[in-house]
Amino acid sequence: MSDMLVTLALILGKLLFIFGVVLFMAAYLVLAERKILGRMQLRYGPNRVGPFGLMQPLADVIKLLTKEDFVPARADKWLFLIAPGITAVTALLVFAVIPFGSPLEIFGRQVPLVVVDLNIGVLYFLGVSSMAVYGVVLGGWASNSKYSLLGGVRGLSQMVSYELSLGLSLVPVIMMARSFSLTDIVMAQQSIPFVLLNPVAFGVFFICVLAESNRIPFDLPEAENELVGGFHTEYSGMRFGLFFVGEYINMVVLGSLVTVFFLGGWNGPWLPPLLWFLFKVLAVCAMFIWIRASMPRLRYDQLMNLGWKILLPLSLVNILVTGAVLLGLG
Amino acid sequence: MLDLYLPIIVVIGIAFAFAIGSVVFSRLVGVKRYSELKMSPYECGVPPIGNANERFSVKFYLVAVAFIVFDVEVAFLYPWAIMFKQLGWYGAITMGIFIFVLVIGFIYDWKKGALEWE
Amino acid sequence: MIATVMFYLLGAVALGATGLAIIQRNPVYAVIYLVKSIFALALIFYLLGAPLVAALQVIVYAGAIMVLFLFVIMMLEVTPTNASTRSAPGWVQWAPVLLLALTLVTLTLVLIGLDPVTSEGIPRWHATPRDFGYALFKEYALAVKIISFQLSFAAVGAFHVGMTERRRAQLEDQS
Repeated sequence: MSDMLVTLALILGKLLFIFGVVLFMAAYLVLAERKILGRMQLRYGPNRVGPFGLMQPLADVIKLLTKEDFVPARADKWLFLIAPGITAVTALLVFAVIPFGSPLEIFGRQVPLVVVDLNIGVLYFLGVSSMAVYGVVLGGWASNSKYSLLGGVRGLSQMVSYELSLGLSLVPVIMMARSFSLTDIVMAQQSIPFVLLNPVAFGVFFICVLAESNRIPFDLPEAENELVGGFHTEYSGMRFGLFFVGEYINMVVLGSLVTVFFLGGWNGPWLPPLLWFLFKVLAVCAMFIWIRASMPRLRYDQLMNLGWKILLPLSLVNILVTGAVLLGLG
Repeated sequence: MLDLYLPIIVVIGIAFAFAIGSVVFSRLVGVKRYSELKMSPYECGVPPIGNANERFSVKFYLVAVAFIVFDVEVAFLYPWAIMFKQLGWYGAITMGIFIFVLVIGFIYDWKKGALEWE
Repeated sequence: MIATVMFYLLGAVALGATGLAIIQRNPVYAVIYLVKSIFALALIFYLLGAPLVAALQVIVYAGAIMVLFLFVIMMLEVTPTNASTRSAPGWVQWAPVLLLALTLVTLTLVLIGLDPVTSEGIPRWHATPRDFGYALFKEYALAVKIISFQLSFAAVGAFHVGMTERRRAQLEDQS
């Protein structure tokens, strides 16, 4: 009985730790993004709430919670209410399979630092991430506003154009690690990370991840200068907050996936594994912010051309070349 | 077994609780003031014109069909990728033919202009 | 025993959801019912010991084919406000959705919580992804190649179906 209680306590502790860290990171990524963007544009960024604006996320949360949460008269009420939830829940669910450290010894038992090490982990990620688009589309459709609908359709076609290359760029990773389990994939990179072995797959994956997160230069579904807010034009209060938080949780999750698939996960010299993982994820997130500060938004035809005519053939060729090389080496 | 499968149940629970809880809380805390204009769809401050459901270019549809075709291809690639070492050159050549035939269809669409966005 | 009960429950959910999808007035709701039916099918595959097929069922059907349906719906001229006022009050429309969703979530949790090793009737990963890949590319390699031709034809055929529509639209624009 006490054995089971310890197990239960460890699981709950681990989960609370993960969710705490993820939500904390998502909240402070917003601040970090605004600060870094500000500095890159020769502004200060938020600096009024607390020292250096460090209390800004708290102020944002209070503001979002106390705003009126209304449903437009012509909207489809139920779908309108559910759509933001889909976005936030799918973003959180992906985190269940991400291993963020090597197994720890606590109370004399092995505790793997991953919520659950599914043996079809890669497919779980692809399945959940293909569900994420429903939040954008249903939200855009249910609002019954032109901007929202356009944003939703753009989100759909962007997702279908990049989801393919996303899936294809992971095939070489599976071939090299010979497993669908994310823990095995990290283990396979103990000596040398996959980014060095297969930089092409890394490049394709990184671009697709940017597109998946709907950030500049791929933020056409919510392009604020043409579509006001895109699919979330009609949203207010905490429902908008869920879309917003979902986007930043997604940023953390996708950063972690880049780390797991290509940057060697928690592997690294000297420092403890957990710190290495955090460091790499933050580096990828900083990269996202840097790209946002320095890239213009793609035009629609450029977006489609990049997805279908460059990334897709490139990743197909990459798979065949990787296969031939790996077989040729024995 | 418990420590393998319990977590994912708890994850689903926490994720839903987070999504539902935050919205319900904001419902309780937030203000409510009804106004006719606020409820109308936003359209740069003027009354909305026409209906939101307008027709889109059929190109979106072509892209979606191409997506399905290639998604099925990806579905075939995964079982191959995990076993490709054991399957050896025989499996690799099968996959090569598979990709080659699909690429022919893809090139056809491309050259016919299904992927042009003017 | 429990596996049999779950099988029939999931079957009932799949059939119910599909039936409701057919009689729905609002196409987006119909898509939601179909997604539920697909999830029920995926769970059945998992129950039958094919986790890879279950995952691919979700990725391909819910992630790709339903997306095509959504595209088509977005291109249709439907007015959701009219459709919802014409039908019965809100709860009549949403009670089955919620009921099916709750059944699915409960069954998922039970299925995940069940220990395949100890509970009788649930196969222990009969077809692991590795077995599946090996069988597919060793014994059924010819079938795989034939499927590639089918998919290629599908890509070409879809282009021609879509293209006539597009030409018509272009002609209308010019006139």
